[in-house]
Amino acid sequence: MMALLQQLENSGFSTWVRQSGSLWAFPGILLAHTYGMGIMVGIIAGIDLKILGLMPGLPLAPLQKFFPLVWIAFWVNAVTGTALLAADASTKLTNPDFGIKMAFIVLAVISQRLIQTRVFGAPDPGGKPFPGNAKMLAVMSIVCWLGAITAGRLLAYVGPTSGL
Amino acid sequence: MIELLSNTSHIHLLLNHVPTTAFFVGLVIYIVALLNGNDALKKAGLGIFFMVAVITIATYTSGNAAEAFLRGIGTRSEVPVNVITAAIREHEDAALWATLFMEITGFFSWLALWQWKSVARLPAWNLPLILVLALASFSMMSRTAYLGGHISHVEIRPEVVARHEVCLALVDAETKHPGSVKNAPDGCPWQAAVDAVTAARGAASPGAASQTRDLGLFVTSHTWMWPTLETLHFVGLSMLFTAVLIVNLRLLGMMKVVPYSAVYQVLPIGMIGFAINLVSGMLFFIGVPSQYNANGTFYWKIIFVLLGGLNVTYFMLVDGAWRAGPGIDAPVSSKIAAASAIFIWVAVLFCGHMLPFIGNAF
Repeated sequence: MMALLQQLENSGFSTWVRQSGSLWAFPGILLAHTYGMGIMVGIIAGIDLKILGLMPGLPLAPLQKFFPLVWIAFWVNAVTGTALLAADASTKLTNPDFGIKMAFIVLAVISQRLIQTRVFGAPDPGGKPFPGNAKMLAVMSIVCWLGAITAGRLLAYVGPTSGL
Repeated sequence: MIELLSNTSHIHLLLNHVPTTAFFVGLVIYIVALLNGNDALKKAGLGIFFMVAVITIATYTSGNAAEAFLRGIGTRSEVPVNVITAAIREHEDAALWATLFMEITGFFSWLALWQWKSVARLPAWNLPLILVLALASFSMMSRTAYLGGHISHVEIRPEVVARHEVCLALVDAETKHPGSVKNAPDGCPWQAAVDAVTAARGAASPGAASQTRDLGLFVTSHTWMWPTLETLHFVGLSMLFTAVLIVNLRLLGMMKVVPYSAVYQVLPIGMIGFAINLVSGMLFFIGVPSQYNANGTFYWKIIFVLLGGLNVTYFMLVDGAWRAGPGIDAPVSSKIAAASAIFIWVAVLFCGHMLPFIGNAF
């Protein structure tokens, strides 16, 4: 297993990401990952806070126009995240913190899917508070994204680290 | 540009007049407005408070660059003889507190401007609170300016003036009653007083106590601080993007059924995000100023933050965007403001991210 990870890490692409010094390599890929995070978490957090009762004058339903942007940002981060992982596979994949980050993201994506189908699918309560399970999903979404951001940042600090 | 950046003390000397002089103009306008109950003037005063608070970010950060220049990045090997490290430390500590109060004043001024449009009546506590904060900020900023003046205007330092006056009194006494003063000086050149004080304080200055340096050490000496601040910086960034994207994409034509008055409610999430990032960012800066004040990318970041501050005043003070009712397209001026906002904050993130990669490495 370790040999496989090292083989991945030593591939031409991984080496380029890690060592080329080009701004398009590690800095550029990480930049795209950060933009993706800002766009995806930014919009999702806005929707979650709306469900929790902030911004009462803002209708919920039209916010679904933002879903394509959310999912584009998600896939940008899936691709850039995979590239960053390939560059540093033997360190990141042996770091338990990486597993924690992935678990948070899986739960966050599940709550986003449920919010899209259940909360947006149900009739808008029109000024009244959203039902309890909608609010629970919103809390779960916020907590999981905060967890994913925290675990992601800590990848550079806890467990095995490589300076990437 | 490079020449200008290599001597950033110019920038500090230019910007350091804004937090006192421009703020004073705002304070007079605001007090007159409160006395007359004039809403337009109140908004003008609040707008000035907010913009001065934004410019103060640049004033504060350029101060460290000015200090670094005096200490000699590259060309100079030592602090110029007339500059006393203790005087810089005193000025820096005063600046830290004054900046803190200035930013709090700016935040509440922004909130009041925002509430003007979004709620029927301003809460009663808001305007008096801002007056108290503004007066506190102004007095602290004035003290900062006074202490800052002592750094290079050595002749106005109180201890220099006091020493000079003692000398003058001795000479005076000797003139009136010859022989009454032992070893009476012949005359009292200012330079003698300056030299004596510089020698006495300059020697004691390297270990000068400083709250700012203590705070910086707190940030760098606790291993959990830097990752925590970085995580908060990402959370604040996401909150800033919440407002930047939802408000500005609406103005640019997305989800047109929603009126501008509804997306306007999202703005405080962005401002709270900015506040989180200002605090965490300033703590990075205070922790390791040398990482930023010799870094060209950091100057671009501050320039874009200033533009971002200017941009958000459009949403507070100009009514154009409010014409975008349900299903109605925003006017061109609002679209330009919206597109600028997205560009500016994308650029701020770009500069922040590139700090370690373009310019000096971390």
